[in-house]
Amino acid sequence: MSFSLNEKVEQSKKIIREAVEQFGYENIAIAWTGGKDSTTLLWLFKSVCSELSIPMPKCMFIDEGDVFDEIMEIVEYLKKEWALNVIMCKNIDVTSRIQKLGDMVKVKDLNERNRQEIKNINFQDDEFPFEPESYIGNHLMKTVPMKAFIEDNGIKVLATAIRWDEQEARTEETYFSRRSSPDHLRIHPILHFRERDIWDNIHKNSIPFCKLYYQGFRSLGARCSTKKFSDIPAWEQDLENTTERSGRGQDKEAIMGQLRDLGYM
Amino acid sequence: MLSLFKKKKKKVVIIGLDGVPHTLLKLYIEQGLMPNFKSMIMEGSLHRMETSLPEISSVAWTSFMTGKNPGEHGIFGFMELREGSYDMYFPNYTDVKAPTFWDAAGVQSVILNVPQTYPARALKGVMTSGFVALDLKKATYPESAYNYLNSIGYKIDVNVNLMRDNIPAFFKDLSVTFEKRKEAIRHFFKNEDWQLFIGVITETDRLHHFFFDHALNNGEYHKNFIDFYSEIDAFLGEIYEKAKKENALFLTCSDHGFTPIRTEVYLNQWLIAEGYLEIGDKEKGLPTISERSRAFCLDPSRIYIHLSGKYPRGQVKDAEYEHLRNELAEKLRSLAFDSEKVAKKIYFKEETFDGPHTPKGPDIYVLPNYGFDLKGAFNRASVFGTSHFRGMHTHDDAHMFVSEKQDKVYANIEDIAGIVSAYLQ
Repeated sequence: MSFSLNEKVEQSKKIIREAVEQFGYENIAIAWTGGKDSTTLLWLFKSVCSELSIPMPKCMFIDEGDVFDEIMEIVEYLKKEWALNVIMCKNIDVTSRIQKLGDMVKVKDLNERNRQEIKNINFQDDEFPFEPESYIGNHLMKTVPMKAFIEDNGIKVLATAIRWDEQEARTEETYFSRRSSPDHLRIHPILHFRERDIWDNIHKNSIPFCKLYYQGFRSLGARCSTKKFSDIPAWEQDLENTTERSGRGQDKEAIMGQLRDLGYM
Repeated sequence: MLSLFKKKKKKVVIIGLDGVPHTLLKLYIEQGLMPNFKSMIMEGSLHRMETSLPEISSVAWTSFMTGKNPGEHGIFGFMELREGSYDMYFPNYTDVKAPTFWDAAGVQSVILNVPQTYPARALKGVMTSGFVALDLKKATYPESAYNYLNSIGYKIDVNVNLMRDNIPAFFKDLSVTFEKRKEAIRHFFKNEDWQLFIGVITETDRLHHFFFDHALNNGEYHKNFIDFYSEIDAFLGEIYEKAKKENALFLTCSDHGFTPIRTEVYLNQWLIAEGYLEIGDKEKGLPTISERSRAFCLDPSRIYIHLSGKYPRGQVKDAEYEHLRNELAEKLRSLAFDSEKVAKKIYFKEETFDGPHTPKGPDIYVLPNYGFDLKGAFNRASVFGTSHFRGMHTHDDAHMFVSEKQDKVYANIEDIAGIVSAYLQ
């Protein structure tokens, strides 16, 4: 059996309500990327908070060093429009040492925290090229700022916008999930939303969204690793029979990109 | 006592050197740039080797691993059209229709970075796929091998995107990728139980695509180029010695040679200019082909007759096929740039490929003379042009080294599977 969009929205709000009532809005943060899913999550939080007449939790935005201008545009716009408290997180210790993608970062130049983090993941080289989505880049530019944000703000609950249908690796996720280092609870209020539900809900409620989706992007990551899926708006594409994250280094587009880089196509 | 009677298992080690030409190896050995390879060829034999048609990595490595031609293994290129449509797809490991020699031999194997083996599948041993491989996890079997590769920051390929605006970063990335590759090869060589060990180095091909014009002259990047070959030589020497200790047969081989590009040749533009092809929207390419079109080209130089019944908008009748193909072949033979012939040889499908998948092959395959890089792009403005690429593949100048004296002077890439299988038995 399948649920209607309304039922799905109610289910998400129920999870948010539970978290807010149990932990208090001040101990919760919402991970916001400026993408369609986390903006939907924000909108759901907004509805719950206004029903309960409480302030919105703070938002965590991670700048991994290669953010689309169009993403910054929607972030700035909604920040004002919805009066959000957005905390920008960036590993400046790393980005201040490079000018562009591919530049080398020497491990010994980094601060102690970053050096420790590099050690923790068993990375042993003396230097590495700056790429937000490499193994080490992903850790330093996304995981480390997130950990620092949770610690610095005493966050007990982090809400993220992952969905079951996004990729296989996520089918095992649950609504509430304990995480360690640092210790906190993850909540995933929109796990059950499908890509189609996200767009239906966005259009039904006139939720603002990043204009890159008009241009055919289906899923947004770092600029250097995100490619258009098609030239038609995301919601008009064949969402049911194609993969959403294929523009993000996954399938057809990524293969074509690699082939083009070597002179084919 | 039992061990005295137990036959010692014969081992084979192959290091693949993507795109390393026989001619260049010989030259660098003579110039003293590759001392290890020099001592290797005193003990074994270095052969010039012909590769597959088309002479591109996905096809050639598939011929390497199956010992078959595309008519039998079914891989004719990096992209293919779905039957009865203009939809492109990208054949992967699951589309290889002939058994690999490691699967056929059923021996304990380590197979690292062989192109066209994505996604990895279970085998007796360890595998991590080579180009085109998107996700290291899907590219690696078993999971413990993935965990190891992930922990060392293993990279499937060089980030050639860096060539656009940061050449020093490209060279750095080339050497980082190579270091990780060597680290992984050493690790599995030492820690796995294997009878067959294959490790392919892709970095040479990437270097050649952008800098092959610096291989022979004193250009700005000549030193980077020969320095990289010194590193290759040092690594080969190391693995050769290790293989000797294991009493293993040692081979190196490439999947094609390389030569500098004089001009790129866009065969679809040529077909358009000659009145054989009409494309509605050049950016969208083949899906916008008109009903009047009689032929089109897919990378690198696979020409297909736009047959009725085979393609949605094809109008060429079976009865017209032979005449049209001969006419095209005739014109292609006379296609010239600066009064030099572009084509070295024109191949017809049934004379070139043999096996159940032959019908999928191109009706005409054009093998170019050195310097003419044939392309299937649809969106070019003219028949000839240049880009930032400096090296192109060659068909007749791949190499094979075997650590045994062999009389053979001219090998074919399909022979390797046989040599290895015979030795392993």
